Amino acid sequence: MGDGRHRDDDGTKLARREFLAGAVGLAATGVLTPEAAPAQAPAATAEEGARPTVLITGSNRGIGLEFAKRYAERDWRVIATCRDPDGADALKELAGRSRNVVLERLDVVDHPGIDALAAKYAGQPIDVLLNNAGIGGGGDNQTFGKLRYDVYAGVLKVNAEGPIKMCEAFLKNVEASRQKKMMTVSSNQGSIAGVKVPMLYWYRSSKSAVNMIMANLALQLRNRGIIVGLVTPGPTDTDFMAGLPKRMLRPVEDAVRDMMREIDRFDISMTGQFLGFKGEILPW
Amino acid sequence: MTGSGQVGTTRRALTAALGVLFLLTAAARAEDAVASSDVTVLITGANRGIGLEYVRQYAARGWKVIATARRPEDATDLKALAAANPRITIEKLDVTDFVAVDALAAKYKGKPIDIVVNNAGITGDRQKQEFGRSSDWPTFEAVLKTNVVAPLKVAEAFLPHMEASAQKKLVNVSSSEGSIGSVNSPRNIFYRASKAALNMEMRNVAFAVKGKGIAVALINPGPVDTDMMASLPKRFLRPKEDAVKDLIRITDQLTLENTGSYWDFTGKPLPW
Repeated sequence: MGDGRHRDDDGTKLARREFLAGAVGLAATGVLTPEAAPAQAPAATAEEGARPTVLITGSNRGIGLEFAKRYAERDWRVIATCRDPDGADALKELAGRSRNVVLERLDVVDHPGIDALAAKYAGQPIDVLLNNAGIGGGGDNQTFGKLRYDVYAGVLKVNAEGPIKMCEAFLKNVEASRQKKMMTVSSNQGSIAGVKVPMLYWYRSSKSAVNMIMANLALQLRNRGIIVGLVTPGPTDTDFMAGLPKRMLRPVEDAVRDMMREIDRFDISMTGQFLGFKGEILPW
Repeated sequence: MTGSGQVGTTRRALTAALGVLFLLTAAARAEDAVASSDVTVLITGANRGIGLEYVRQYAARGWKVIATARRPEDATDLKALAAANPRITIEKLDVTDFVAVDALAAKYKGKPIDIVVNNAGITGDRQKQEFGRSSDWPTFEAVLKTNVVAPLKVAEAFLPHMEASAQKKLVNVSSSEGSIGSVNSPRNIFYRASKAALNMEMRNVAFAVKGKGIAVALINPGPVDTDMMASLPKRFLRPKEDAVKDLIRITDQLTLENTGSYWDFTGKPLPW
């Protein structure tokens, strides 16, 4: 992949054997078998002179990069953030050919950095705040009996603390927009009811934590018309899942197409929902 | 015993029969012994509140209690309990100090511990977790470390001790505040997130240790009259004695069939 540094050593990826067991479980439920796509909701159309804006974290590769491409294609304004824009070749190339895309450096664990970016965009509406940045923690660090506790804090900080800090920092921007959406890429791995095989203690509990956080934010921000949602990609073919057989993974184009459909579909009556990639409500 | 002739034979047979009887009843007597004073419970955060009450009630059963606290020297009530009961041992432990957790597990190496109770927990100051107003990130991180990471560390470190025991139970004092399905008004966002995360990890642990015969539970004690709830009017709070009686009753009923469940103090399941 030439679209950014491989941060293997910080536990971004999940090890093959760990996810294989979970993916096999998912395959057994029919989730990965091809079937007719659900009815397409109409894509959000940009009103004249008022292109919607989306801010995406972790947009240098994988799902985040695909989000940036697809929103740019829709003629939305895309604030594409990542930790290392200089190393994000594919993202730079996208920004180079699309006037819609602006690159910003942002690490979601860097709170002063988040505040500085929010100050830079003060007063500008952001229709969709898309909390996509996330790390897996590394499958080798999360085996019961050999748990690596030094890794846990980092996973919680990125996956649980990052989204809430982002929502807080860009609250006014989202409120000033037309669509007023705060979306977080969660995971069906965050469903406690769905646990069958034990693994990924850090990753799963960080997603349950962010699910709880967003369920609360949805209620708290409802009166301000802000829609808070949790969307999930299913097991997707990106670096995050490197090492797993491709046949178990969904193309990133499909994952993002599905999530964008759900993001479009989210209205205030749905705020706080935790959705699968087919739009089904997932159990907590 | 010596004897001669038929009397000696009878005596020897009687002795042998008594010996066999003694051996047969030894198992039952051992079971009785295990059923009372050899049962051992480890309770974290035992200096006050629910933890202290746990010590009181388990010690009243005649069980051995390892009561841990960050500052035993300040734990007046706990010290008084221990002074009156030789089966209570106080150990200094900050559950967020993982080196110390390992050291305590090593200290008790080879000793069965029937029930490990992850009771130590913090709420984080309510005023420091108001979204958009007062979110204090070091508070969030401390709450996560105590309520989420430490219980897993304790469980992992004391796994062999539970495995070597008769009862084999891991009990986590959770909270209905960790039930995402029950959220109907926003509050205590850090505390809630921590309890939801605890629920997720312990559900995984339940599956992981089932093969070793260890049962895992997450139990909500309800809103209890302790320092943790000091800001609430007493009429909303349950006495500690009742709360811990419920926790212990549910613990008594834990099996490998109901392992991994999230219980309300009534014994009913809570939604995740």
